[in-house]
Amino acid sequence: MRKIKLRPVLLIALIFIQCSIDDVSNEFVEEINVGKSEEVSVLTNTDSKDTSQTSFNHQAMLMNWADNIIIPSLSGFESSLSELKTKASEYTSSPNAETLSVLRAVWLDSYLKWQHVEMFDIGTAEEIYFKNRINLFPANIDRIESNIANQEYDLDQSSNFTSQGFNSLDYLLFGLGENDNAINDKYASENSNYSKYLIEVIDKMIALTSEIKEGWNEEFRNSFINSTENTSTSSVNMVLNDFIFYFEKGFRANKVGIPSGVFSDLPLPDRVEAYYSKKYSRLLALEANKAIRNFFNGKYYEDNEQVGLSVRDYLDYLESDEETKLSDKINNQLDSIDSKLNSLNPDFTQQIIQDNLAMLYAFDVIQANVVLLKVDMLQKLNINVDYADADGD
Amino acid sequence: MHKIIHDYYSRKKAHPATLAFFRITFGGLMFLSTLRFWSKGWIETLYVLPEYHFKYFGFEWVTDLGNFTYLLFLLGLISSFFVMIGYKYRLSVITFFLVFTYIELIDKTTYLNHYYLTSCLAFIMCFLPAASYFSVDAFISGKRATAIPVWNVDAIKIFICLVYFFAGIAKINSDWLLEAQPLSLWLKSKYDLPWIGQTLMQSKVTHYLASWFGMIYDVCIPFFLLFSRTKYIAYFFVIIFHILTKIFFPSIGMFPYIMITSAVIFFDSRIHIKILNYLQSLIEKIGLFFVSKSPEINLKPKTIAPNKFIFTLLCCFLFFQLLFPLRYLLYPGELFWNEQGYRFSWRVMLMEKRGDITFKIKDSVANTYFYVKNEDFLTPFQEKQMSFQPDFILEYAHYLGKHFKDKGHQNTQIFVDSFVALNGRPSQRFIDPNFDLLKAQESFSNKDWILPLNDEIKGL
Repeated sequence: MRKIKLRPVLLIALIFIQCSIDDVSNEFVEEINVGKSEEVSVLTNTDSKDTSQTSFNHQAMLMNWADNIIIPSLSGFESSLSELKTKASEYTSSPNAETLSVLRAVWLDSYLKWQHVEMFDIGTAEEIYFKNRINLFPANIDRIESNIANQEYDLDQSSNFTSQGFNSLDYLLFGLGENDNAINDKYASENSNYSKYLIEVIDKMIALTSEIKEGWNEEFRNSFINSTENTSTSSVNMVLNDFIFYFEKGFRANKVGIPSGVFSDLPLPDRVEAYYSKKYSRLLALEANKAIRNFFNGKYYEDNEQVGLSVRDYLDYLESDEETKLSDKINNQLDSIDSKLNSLNPDFTQQIIQDNLAMLYAFDVIQANVVLLKVDMLQKLNINVDYADADGD
Repeated sequence: MHKIIHDYYSRKKAHPATLAFFRITFGGLMFLSTLRFWSKGWIETLYVLPEYHFKYFGFEWVTDLGNFTYLLFLLGLISSFFVMIGYKYRLSVITFFLVFTYIELIDKTTYLNHYYLTSCLAFIMCFLPAASYFSVDAFISGKRATAIPVWNVDAIKIFICLVYFFAGIAKINSDWLLEAQPLSLWLKSKYDLPWIGQTLMQSKVTHYLASWFGMIYDVCIPFFLLFSRTKYIAYFFVIIFHILTKIFFPSIGMFPYIMITSAVIFFDSRIHIKILNYLQSLIEKIGLFFVSKSPEINLKPKTIAPNKFIFTLLCCFLFFQLLFPLRYLLYPGELFWNEQGYRFSWRVMLMEKRGDITFKIKDSVANTYFYVKNEDFLTPFQEKQMSFQPDFILEYAHYLGKHFKDKGHQNTQIFVDSFVALNGRPSQRFIDPNFDLLKAQESFSNKDWILPLNDEIKGL
């Protein structure tokens, strides 16, 4: 009864023999405290697909995300905001057609850069509801006007989330009057409350962004790239969950779905992004799609020609014996989204009013990719959408 | 033949220590797992907070109790503890069975095979003389059993064998054995395990070995546990197997421990007697801290007579357990896909299924529609479970229908855009998008509005 039997020993021996046969190039995940050095070597996987790869370097993917995408896009956004502040100050001290035009251009540039930042809701961003304070829409016009009139407001209160950020600026720069002259008039007086509010909204955006940027200090960045385990609170899982949440809500619902009336009885043409500009909603959506594609394929923020380890690589590794790759399907769908969006009116409001069916088709094309990401991709990665904290069998 | 059955029923005996030991471990584990469930805050997240609960067909009358659910769990704790120590055993075990089963009936979302296992074991235990030996009841009554009809122990043994066996033959299918799915998906994601994460877990050979070993284990272990020559080696494998499942799938909860302790029932009664004697001396030693002299425990022998009614009941129950997992044969289509007859069949950790579903509420007269945001009605866990199980989808559709009707919507039709991925296949449409779900009612008949899987899974 207590003698050591041969059978179980053989079985265990089998497992260890098999282990040594498969032992090719293994990367043991260790605690690496790498500073933001440019010498960090990441596995680039552009043309040569190494199908004999026997494991995947999650940490290198995290490093690519942090060092080449997230932090640079934050920096780019931060600089654009300080430029926005400069031009806004110039405008409010001398509001005319020219300074307004310059300010609007800088606002758009900053708004486009924001499209590359919104999908990353990790760390400080999540804590301070960053994206809800930079880009909630529609803007609450009544609230904005009463804030300006009463001069008593706290932009840190959640009730003011829809009276700050880009869409409030959209109203302040495009929607204040019948025409540009009417708008300039509002800022003309010495102590114009509008000028004051404009600057304060921008200041708030700068302050929040600076807080986020500081949140990405060396310590956070190191703990971020070291958190490679497959749990709900690890970096990979959180970033991917945020990404999918953004794709479904920030991109699909907010930019296309809600305005086209998908979630309501009737279309809501005034709920588009940058509504008052009357021309940028499509541009912003296209830029967001580009940001999505860049992240998925691991493209560097500052130089799209450079690529690092990405979700696409991870999927390709997991599907190394498959003929048709999920990553290709996803990329193809992103291309379809691109061409569908390009076929729409640059002003989504007009598109909805004139031919909402086209908007609904665009929604369907985006929705198809939601399925690929939420169902196909998450199944391959074996990640749960939300940590349903319960047992499973 | 009749004589054989009659002999088995009335003559063959087992030592009551076997059953007593099972009772102690079962009660103890149930106590611990209830405590664990409570401490993780799951009572609140799963039973108190959700606004809606999915119901089992025929059990729609089971309501959640709001904050009184805690009372129910307290009752579960007390009753399982009393089962363990064998105090007012009959009342305790019946209470535990009712309380536990009621809790499980509140929400279909939380269905787990090991909860069903617990209910079944508790049910069987209601009819067994498990507190006739080494229990507070025996101590108080001054009597202890010397022998019990063997079928009392065999009932549990056969039930455990059925569980393993059905779990095993469920794994005899082309996805599991020929594709090594879903284990490939699951093991590859365990890349963070030390030493084996980036190596063994990533290797296709490991995936196939694990699949085949898992199937062979489940199918064969009941036989090895039953035969006296092989039962101790078999138990060694029981431990290895369940420890491995715990390492690879931490979310499997208490299942491994339940099986590891339950399988001890196959041991010789000598071992059970030894363990209980040791336990007794331990208790006496502890007791000596409180009293100066250990009391004389002189228990008179007691006979447990075989009971025809209980014997018949247990036979019926086991027969039911033999047939019920086979009901899927009555339905057309791929079982893993349409899940008709999937639950309550010991299909443990058998497939990986994921879905995304959007509900479209249409006004058939005005010809307008809108999509529903599921998070307005369901918890993320509920939404996940609902997305790939047709009975959930149908129930939720009716819930939405009623909700919007109450809000004044008219001529409501409900359609779904539903996509599901099974065992690593590309996602495909799950439900007929042109079928108004409000026209269907839950029943035992086939749900023909489920689209067929465009693939074939061969197997039993």
